[in-house]
Amino acid sequence: MKRSLALSLSFLLAAACAGLTACSKDPATPASASGAAAAPSIRVWWFQWAPADGLQELGREFQKETGIEVVVEQIPLGSYQEKVFLEFGAARTRFDILIGDSQWIGRGATKGLYVDLTEWLPTVVDLASIHPRAAKYLCEYPEGSGKWFAAPCETDAVGVAYRKDWFEDPAEKQAFQAQYGRALEVPQSWDDFQQVAEFFQRPDAKRYGCSLPSDRSYDGLTMGVQNLLWAFGGRWHAEDSNKVVGELDTPGSVAGVEFYKKLLKLGPNGAERMDYGQVLESFTNGSTAMILNYFAFFPGIQQHFGDKVGFAVVPAHDGKRVASLGGQGMSISTRIPPEQVELSKRFIAWFMQRKVQEQWITKPAGFTANADILKSAEFRAKTPYNAPFAESVDSMQDFWNVPVFNELLTVTQRYVGMAVDGEMPTADALKQLAIEKERILKEAGLL
Amino acid sequence: MSMTSTVPRHRGGSTIAWALVGPTLVLLIAFNVFPLLYNVVLSFTNRELVGDDSRWIGTANYTRVFGDPLFASALRRTALFVLCAVGAELLLGFALALALVREFKLKRTVLAVVLVPMMLSPAVMGLFWALILNGNYGVVNQVLGSIGLPQPQWLTDRDLKFWSVVVIDVWMWTPFMALIALAGLSAIPPHLYEAAEIDRATRWRVFARITLPMTAPLLGLAVLLRATDALKQFDLVMATAGPNDAATQTLSTLLYQTVFRDGKIGLGAAFACVVLVVVIALATVFTRYLDHLRRARET
Repeated sequence: MKRSLALSLSFLLAAACAGLTACSKDPATPASASGAAAAPSIRVWWFQWAPADGLQELGREFQKETGIEVVVEQIPLGSYQEKVFLEFGAARTRFDILIGDSQWIGRGATKGLYVDLTEWLPTVVDLASIHPRAAKYLCEYPEGSGKWFAAPCETDAVGVAYRKDWFEDPAEKQAFQAQYGRALEVPQSWDDFQQVAEFFQRPDAKRYGCSLPSDRSYDGLTMGVQNLLWAFGGRWHAEDSNKVVGELDTPGSVAGVEFYKKLLKLGPNGAERMDYGQVLESFTNGSTAMILNYFAFFPGIQQHFGDKVGFAVVPAHDGKRVASLGGQGMSISTRIPPEQVELSKRFIAWFMQRKVQEQWITKPAGFTANADILKSAEFRAKTPYNAPFAESVDSMQDFWNVPVFNELLTVTQRYVGMAVDGEMPTADALKQLAIEKERILKEAGLL
Repeated sequence: MSMTSTVPRHRGGSTIAWALVGPTLVLLIAFNVFPLLYNVVLSFTNRELVGDDSRWIGTANYTRVFGDPLFASALRRTALFVLCAVGAELLLGFALALALVREFKLKRTVLAVVLVPMMLSPAVMGLFWALILNGNYGVVNQVLGSIGLPQPQWLTDRDLKFWSVVVIDVWMWTPFMALIALAGLSAIPPHLYEAAEIDRATRWRVFARITLPMTAPLLGLAVLLRATDALKQFDLVMATAGPNDAATQTLSTLLYQTVFRDGKIGLGAAFACVVLVVVIALATVFTRYLDHLRRARET
């Protein structure tokens, strides 16, 4: 009897502990998530960067108009992906709207994580007003299928930032002219880019030619290298299918990766593994002539350097220019109550209005997908980076966005990394990468 | 005292014991045993981080694990890491303990300072070391550059980055080895050394016949603890190189990559089961060795 009493006591204690754990409410949990009757609110998740502050400011405008509170929670980029997909494992996500990386859309659409917006979105926005490349890569899955799982939020692309004051320095111009027999200008081709980087590479004077994304921990190297891979005639897969072998392992792809490898030698120490923040830092510390990075980072650079900095589209090769796409769409979580879905739709519909998009572009790094705004002379003249950004949108292209994109990214980072580090000949690395990718795609039923 | 008076008291003690131990047992079952068994079940499915289309796939995940070159290279790299890091920590830690065992001025202060690295968080230390070893602005390369020496790329050079992680681990955990060795050295009865002195034994003979055998069991225990910990190396690699670097990927970071980045829960569970078996096998070998040492000492 006493023993059973003791056992019962034990279970009661354990249950009490478990109960206490379950009842301890996360202070960040929104009222809507706990089911308590409170003022309506929407919780948005995005990673920690300047555009999220701008969206929060717009959210306050929305609240003034509708009484619906918008909270933009900023998650550090390094752990954003893990946090988001772990959250989708729950019955109710802590976010209503997710501003997810463009590459996640396949996973979100096919695993039932994102609400299908195909029927609803055309009722609140003219789809023709959205730039076709933003629609294709940020919102639709499969690409160009007309099935919408997101509305464009932040449109972004890789561009070039350069030290305008160095480029305009008469002594530098003269020296460049003498060395290369041509004027020192913003590089139009990757060969020009290499020459200019070579010219400014002076490690003894702590001055460097260029910094490019080359980090291995998430997608830095891939997002950097693909600008050249595409420009040199390479591709990740066939135009009309997911076939990789014979498509990726081509001389064009090899030439693109090899060229990237050469450019990495024209940077500061450790240039062969820099994340976006480190690339930015190498520029803002005043040591580097040119960087390749996302336009969303450029307003900060402009603020730092004023008119000493210039911005440009990525260079071309044999007339072919392709910019790596960045940016994210707004998707609604399927793991929220219907009333929260409705509130989220109201916010997205409000955000997509032309007048709000015009406000959006005034926020730090608030880049729109509205084709009319992108075309307008007023937008292009507003900042030094707007015109090259608008031009980049016309040529931007994305990495895979199929549900197994992450596995494809992992092997890409690994094999391209081995090629760049000289651990494997580039042609062999790409051949092996193509085989690995086809294995992953076949296992996922995508090939 | 009669038996009749002791039995009820024994029963009462047992009841109280169950009441005290019970909640812990329940929590252990809930948070250790159940997850372990559930992990084994998951390893036979194609469960993913998101989505509900999980199904039984037999031993396919295990076939993949054993056929995966990434797993083989991560296993080799982890073994090399354990061997080099723990080996260096053992040698340096023992040497440090030998230096610290004698009484000297400020011994307590020196001891406290020496122990600092092992008291810090490995994740935070990893981030600090990433800054210290940064090829461009890290303090190490700044110092090397200022005296005209080459500035190696400690964390980006493919031949150096693995060894950089080993060095950081050695810096962190040598004090732990030193602490355990110091405890062993302090426990050696002084009369053994006195007897050796009377016998005019050489310093090497004293070390080989008294110091080393007397501290061996404790050193063995320290190696066991460090080796099982080093087998799980995660924090330092994540902080300095990330989970997906071919030159530094360990079993734990490969597991992280598989589950949290690629979302392959089933495959990750199979990885984890294999890693668990490796750890258990290693721990068994070590504990048997320790038993052997203990028995040898007793006889």
